[in-house]
Amino acid sequence: MTEELFFHICGVVVVASPLLLIAILGIPPLIGRPLSEGTINRFTYAAVNFGLLAASLILIGMLVTGRRHVPIELGHWIELEELHFHFHLKFVFDRLSVPFVILTFLLCGTIGAFTSRYLHRESGYSRFYIAYALFMFGMIAATLAGTIEVLFFGWELVGLSSALLIAFFHERRSPVQNGLRAWCIYRIADAAFLIAAIWMHHLAGEGDFDVLMGRGAWPDGKATIAIAQAIPVGLLLIIAAAGKSALVPFSGWLPRAMEGPTSSSAIFYGALSVHLGAFLLLRISPLLELSLWLSGTVVVLGLATALFASFAGRVQADVKTALAFASLTQVGIIVAEIGLGFRYIALIHILGHAAVRTLQLLRAPTLLHDYKVLEDAIGGHMHESPSAISRVIPERWKRRWYLFFLERGYLDSILDQVFVRPFVVSFKAFDRWERRFTDFLSGDKLEETEEVQTRSEVVEELKY
Amino acid sequence: MVDLRLKCRAEVMSHLNSLFLGRSKVTMKSISDTVEGLVSDSSGVGTSQSGFIDAKQIDHAVKHAAHLLPSQGPITAFVHHNTLHALEDLKFGEAVKKGAKLFGCHPYLTEAQYREKLSVGRIRSEDLEAVLFDHLGAHADVLLGVLGTRLTLQKTILEYPLHDGPEVDLRWVIADSNALFTFRADTPESCRKKFISETRQWVMRDFPKDAQQSGQQTDKAQRLSSEIQTAVQQTMTLFPGRIESWSDRTWEAFGLHLQWRICEVGVSFCSGKPVQDWVPYRRVRDLLLQLTGEDSDELVHPLLIQFSAMFLDQGFSHWELPNRDLGFFESFLEMFAQKSFLGDPWRRGLSQHLMRLRGQNVTAMECIQQSLQSFGVSADEVDSFVEQKLLALRGFAGMIWQLEDQGNRVLKPMPKGSLLGFLAVRLLLEQYAVSFLAKRELNYAEKLAGLRSFCLLEIGRTEKPSSFAERNAFRVFEISQILGWSPKLMGRLSQGQWQVLVKEINAFCGVQRRQIYHLAFERKYRGQALDAIALHSKRLNQLRAKSESSVASEKNLKGLAGSKKQDGQSEAVAGKSTSTFQIICCIDDREESFRRYLEEIDPSCETYGAAGFFAVVMYFRGASDAFYSPLCPAVVTPTHYVRETAGTPFQKTATRRSRQRRAIGTVTQKVHVGSRTFAGGWFGTVALGTLATFPLVARVLFPRATAKLRDYFGGFVSPPEVTQVEYERTVDPPSDAEDHLGYSVSEMAGIVQRLLEDISLTKRLSRLVILCGHGSSSLNNPHESAYNCGACAGGRGGPNARVFSRMANDPRVRRELATRGIVIPDDTVFVGGYHNTCDDNVTFYELELLPTTHRKDFQHAWDVIHQARCENALERCRRFNSASLTMTPVEALQHVEARSEDLSQARPEYNHATNALCFVGRRQWSRGLYLDRRSFLQTYDPTKDDEVGTILNRILQAVIPVCAGINLEYYFSCVDHVGYGAGNKLPHNIVSLLGVMDGAASDLRPGLYRQMTEIHEPMRILFVIETKPEIMQRVIDQNPGIALLVKGQWVQLAVFNQEEATVKLYQDGEFLPYELQSDYLDVASSSSDWYRGWRDHLKFASIGKNFADFEKYAGNTRDRRDF
Repeated sequence: MTEELFFHICGVVVVASPLLLIAILGIPPLIGRPLSEGTINRFTYAAVNFGLLAASLILIGMLVTGRRHVPIELGHWIELEELHFHFHLKFVFDRLSVPFVILTFLLCGTIGAFTSRYLHRESGYSRFYIAYALFMFGMIAATLAGTIEVLFFGWELVGLSSALLIAFFHERRSPVQNGLRAWCIYRIADAAFLIAAIWMHHLAGEGDFDVLMGRGAWPDGKATIAIAQAIPVGLLLIIAAAGKSALVPFSGWLPRAMEGPTSSSAIFYGALSVHLGAFLLLRISPLLELSLWLSGTVVVLGLATALFASFAGRVQADVKTALAFASLTQVGIIVAEIGLGFRYIALIHILGHAAVRTLQLLRAPTLLHDYKVLEDAIGGHMHESPSAISRVIPERWKRRWYLFFLERGYLDSILDQVFVRPFVVSFKAFDRWERRFTDFLSGDKLEETEEVQTRSEVVEELKY
Repeated sequence: MVDLRLKCRAEVMSHLNSLFLGRSKVTMKSISDTVEGLVSDSSGVGTSQSGFIDAKQIDHAVKHAAHLLPSQGPITAFVHHNTLHALEDLKFGEAVKKGAKLFGCHPYLTEAQYREKLSVGRIRSEDLEAVLFDHLGAHADVLLGVLGTRLTLQKTILEYPLHDGPEVDLRWVIADSNALFTFRADTPESCRKKFISETRQWVMRDFPKDAQQSGQQTDKAQRLSSEIQTAVQQTMTLFPGRIESWSDRTWEAFGLHLQWRICEVGVSFCSGKPVQDWVPYRRVRDLLLQLTGEDSDELVHPLLIQFSAMFLDQGFSHWELPNRDLGFFESFLEMFAQKSFLGDPWRRGLSQHLMRLRGQNVTAMECIQQSLQSFGVSADEVDSFVEQKLLALRGFAGMIWQLEDQGNRVLKPMPKGSLLGFLAVRLLLEQYAVSFLAKRELNYAEKLAGLRSFCLLEIGRTEKPSSFAERNAFRVFEISQILGWSPKLMGRLSQGQWQVLVKEINAFCGVQRRQIYHLAFERKYRGQALDAIALHSKRLNQLRAKSESSVASEKNLKGLAGSKKQDGQSEAVAGKSTSTFQIICCIDDREESFRRYLEEIDPSCETYGAAGFFAVVMYFRGASDAFYSPLCPAVVTPTHYVRETAGTPFQKTATRRSRQRRAIGTVTQKVHVGSRTFAGGWFGTVALGTLATFPLVARVLFPRATAKLRDYFGGFVSPPEVTQVEYERTVDPPSDAEDHLGYSVSEMAGIVQRLLEDISLTKRLSRLVILCGHGSSSLNNPHESAYNCGACAGGRGGPNARVFSRMANDPRVRRELATRGIVIPDDTVFVGGYHNTCDDNVTFYELELLPTTHRKDFQHAWDVIHQARCENALERCRRFNSASLTMTPVEALQHVEARSEDLSQARPEYNHATNALCFVGRRQWSRGLYLDRRSFLQTYDPTKDDEVGTILNRILQAVIPVCAGINLEYYFSCVDHVGYGAGNKLPHNIVSLLGVMDGAASDLRPGLYRQMTEIHEPMRILFVIETKPEIMQRVIDQNPGIALLVKGQWVQLAVFNQEEATVKLYQDGEFLPYELQSDYLDVASSSSDWYRGWRDHLKFASIGKNFADFEKYAGNTRDRRDF
């Protein structure tokens, strides 16, 4: 078997195994034949194991052959000569994507096993695994993406599955609201990403990263586009990354996202999804290096997020929110590292942080047990030493400072008023004009849609 | 097409409307201005102190409402109690209804759930009939004109799945189920025939005659009959063809169409609206929600939850809330009375308001008074107003009240008046939220006080009067098919008859139907249980008589000389026990199967049941514990302290290891806290992070092996194996100081006497007596404490067993006991043990003190116990869906061991789920009866008690409230796991180290979570007590607590006479003889024979080879195992 063929087969297995899993888990319920818990588990394990095995083989192959850049082409799909546009499916295995892929399979596998018992007998069991398969495929596609279109595709899937899993317990109101909120922020990030992608296409005629970021294998690539054009594209991509990784000012959704089952919270907001923004920045790091402004922005954004989250995390009384902010603190630092050009450190940081935080989130419900064990070992109550921060801040500022972080920096409220409200107001105005216009056309009044009242079942019944 | 598109768009817009911020007519700025104006207006009035509601009255209202709040304390010491404790002075049936209205929760299971039970035979038709008969009493035979009796009508409604629901739903059901063309599938054949033939006869022959007669009737009656005539004529036009040649199918469709029209007509002549007897006080928020779909609580709660959580925090957050000691209101004031330019628009102006309040030194009470005034609450509404406001976020309010009221249980207690402060803050925030929404949604800019009446007016104007006609008509339509009421019969009903019928149907409303179902469900199980006890007892008596007669005949054969010798022997034996060992377990229902297996494996052992603190009331501190914790029922406050320390030769090792543990602990704590910080987190994740993969993967994939590995390494630093308990006091009074620990000898004698007397083990002690406390350990379970021993206030009862054994082994205690008439033989040794009900591990204490003479006895006991725990694990595993049904006992043990160490396991064990019975009496009559782990078992011997039941009295004082508390908590958490229970466990999030909430932010969730109660069958516990009715009556009369539960029907009660094998059931204040419902009880040769291959609940059965004689009746028992 030739080297090329070996890499190609392994590469296809890596991409295809999560894709097949989506089909296997997703289609039977559609045709009215839901799978049993056991079947779902077996397929999930198989997909993860095949994927992990193939990815490891590629890693070994790369180490043996010394190749550091293995592109896998899956065909040209669109070729428009006259418009200088072409789109092809291309996946790249390099020093950035391979660790990420292996981490993804490893964590997904663990979480898959965890969830098989955790969600046992839960009505949304199969729903969870479908979203999980979507997520896994999204992660694999995004990390391996060799073109910006493929990256965007994976990115979208991750966002979609993430929002669906936040709203997993949809019989209550707040998971759905918070899922919607995360989804809205993702859309902002996606919009920025999409514009950037089109712009890059416009510049380079194709979305391949080798063209944009230079031919060298990651992290040695040098971007080839002009600085003047790099800055707006870079900024757009930074917005995209900020939305996905919950950097300031988009941080508000991350603690709210702790609504789903513990396992999905762990993998999304402790481990993988939250690092996807950082991954994007790593992928386009040659672009960032072109301009001091761009890297400067990234550093500032990262540090601001880290500081904000580290303070906000101190004034939370519940374990999941505290972990969400702890996670965000490290993501902020990772982003700052990328801005400073420490690519390898950032990569190692991501891998380590993902593992630690997943474990912590999975153990979150054991907190009381762990506290008891710790207190017994120490022989007294866990005295929180007044943290360094409260010593640093001058006394008269403390109260104000505390309130600021208790209110989570007013970030959500600012977003609501600065972005959401104008949007809603203007759309409502359009709605009103349209109504008036159609009323005018049809000559009578258009009926308002009937609103359905939601009331509690018991109260309803006891009336009678 | 265009229209459709527009409609879609309109729909989308209205969704957006509700998703984001409201109507655009009013700008945000102007809203906030007005809100501020409104609220500050009221506070301006406030300074004048006129028209305020009296502080005393408010205080009273708060205390009253606090009583209704959930009374669960910190989750780390979970004590089961009646969820509706506040309503215990009502009867059960009324209390659940009142609870439903107060808290908006289900009183019983849903109708669908009961109907499911009906369909699988867990409720029988005869149960329904009996319960209905009891319930209706003299009204059962009330005749409803030509339509039969009330009993038949109600029974039909219960037995057949009739549709009930809103009208929109109804139309769909009619269309979907083809209801106007074919009979209901469950219509009896005879009724179908009758229906068709009578229809045909009426329409073709009698109808024209009827039509002529109607001329001589009154006005209204004439209208009715003329409308029915039109109905008939119109229906006939629907069906083409000559009427003579209609097929049966056409007649069926025609008859049903006609019947439906007649029902519609008939019902329209009745006022069908059911009476609403209870109008709750509706908060302005409720009215606004109904009117606009906007919920002001969604604005208020996030802030209130976050602040309350920080205020309650017991040390989780790194940065403590400033000014926490000042109280809730004051601390809130200090924090939020700061200038803020950002923040949500709805509470703009709040900070200025707070600054003003702070400037004027307004107290929480004054603030409440101001708020009440600005809400326009009158003096007679205060109680219900305050009640509603506090119940709206009752988890947090309840916890604040618990900590304020009983602050000794936590590290950081609440300052007094915190609940009042909470209310003050809540009212303040609500004013802003409500005014904001009123302005934005309704364009209401007047005073807040007028908003209520404005909303009521608005609702009255816009609300469509709900119509019940169609709903009632469909009900009559369905019932008529089942009971065979043909159109002929219905068409001739007078208006008065229609009215009676509709009223009758309406009066039998949902709650009532569910109540009857529930009573029938309880009746079936109660009957089975009482039958089983009586029949099993009869069998035992027969067996005993048989064996005695065979002994007697043997005697006769051997002649007189021999018998004399034997008599002498049996006398000697009377003082000594013939059993290999005796074991005293907790009364816990989970120990039922454990005891059953011990008896099955070694038929010559004896088991006893007693409350698991074994009369040892103490604060205990283990060798590796940091603090003392109480190990006794929650209602008792211990005065004695007992400490475990390393054995004298191991002191040095112990000190060294505790130093090591402290070092490891400190490092772990630093890592734990540091990983969430900036720099520490960076170091931790970059340098060590990837290493976390190993514990992550290992813990999830191999929980049991990882736990073993952890225990192995943990062993190097854990306290030495050999430890001592310091249980003897040398200096009075008892306290936690050195030398003051423990008990005096006479106190110890008292404790030992108390327990041995309770279970009547004062004579015939065997060589080895084991005491077995219990507890449970599981990971990833904030409710871990709820799985522990209920008699130890959510603690683990092992130390109690250990301390008791030490006391009972002490020669001085024995000497003292001898003077009190209890002689413990010199060769009797007590050993303390601990049963972990989650992984079925049993450990023993201080075996180094076991005399060598007893090693063999202990070895035997241990073999039996080991086998029993494996069997017990297997029986438990049948309930776990994820465990295979074909496991061996050893595999089952490994399975439950893995469960308790599994991070991902939401059901480490099922705890008290399925509990339904409590036996108080001698084990001899329940021994060998398969109880399916559903019964609490307390040993009590009425023959050793005095005439007034002194011992019974003191036993029941603990047993009834504790078991009833557990049972009722399960009942309520099960019938409404969202409202009364803690909901789904999976999104639980530990907050403030005190409780759990759902997801990122929600109210605190007291109660039990769904996974804990999913196999439970909610029914009131049935106490079966072996005593005379007079004695039991005395106990009831002497204990108001018990009287409340028994007379209020919160528990079911029966007394049992073993010799006669008869039961008397407590009904309406007296004990009435119970008549057996069946004459046969199943027989199985062993427990595993009985349950093997079965996951669901099981019937009672006599277990054991000695019952083989009775098996001759038994056919294929396999099918009959299920209820």
